[in-house]
Amino acid sequence: MEENEDVPKDFIKLKSEKLSVDEVSELVVSPYCGAVSLFIGTTRNNFEGKKVIHLEYEAYTSMAEIEIKKICRDVRQKWPSLKHIAVHHRLGVVPITEASVIIAVSSPHRAESLEAVMYCINTLKASVPIWKKEIYEDEYSWKENKECFWANSEK
Amino acid sequence: RRSPGRRRRRGPVSKGGSPRDGGSMSCQVSVLYFARSAELTGLRCETLSVPRQITSLQLWEEIVKVHPRLAVIRDQVVFAVRQEYVLLGDQLLVLQPGDEVAIIPPISGG
Repeated sequence: MEENEDVPKDFIKLKSEKLSVDEVSELVVSPYCGAVSLFIGTTRNNFEGKKVIHLEYEAYTSMAEIEIKKICRDVRQKWPSLKHIAVHHRLGVVPITEASVIIAVSSPHRAESLEAVMYCINTLKASVPIWKKEIYEDEYSWKENKECFWANSEK
Repeated sequence: RRSPGRRRRRGPVSKGGSPRDGGSMSCQVSVLYFARSAELTGLRCETLSVPRQITSLQLWEEIVKVHPRLAVIRDQVVFAVRQEYVLLGDQLLVLQPGDEVAIIPPISGG
């Protein structure tokens, strides 16, 4: 009996609707894998003593998808045993405690997917053209990731 | 009377584009603005006519001529030309009509 080999797939989505951890995990689950590792980035309610009302995200969508695909390609070179990778990022308004990003990776054993998930989120923060605006009570601020490879870290 | 050895010669007015003339030819590109740069220009996108061959710094200066308020973020931005990052500097760009050029302020995804 020939079994479906479960060809490795990358699932990339940018959307304004609420993200679902169930949906993202189910995308990467595989009968050949003993591990699914997940990262969920959620909205905090404070920054440097200021109350955060919510976050707003925007993206250069076409390029963001290209950059996320590059991350998937790099991750697969570093950890060849990975099965599936899913990266879902929310755009628009994200209320406090809701997820802005979910990354899920499956692998036969846990070490690879745990490491790959960390690499994915770190590299996403360094290279994917998505912007976050933090809305406070009286003002707002465009955030800048310290990982951003061209930004000044000191101002 | 026409002198037999003499011909009237008029140089062609070249609009079609001779390859040797690439530096002074211009083309229309789509400029996309994001985050802070969109706030400063009041725009998400527009079409600009720019020289086909231009350094990335010169391209920035062309755009700032149209939107002087962008000058305040000069030290923080890069470009994306045809969806690849380009630092502001000496890199020579060869632009095609319809190319996408995006102003990319410091990113904050994730």
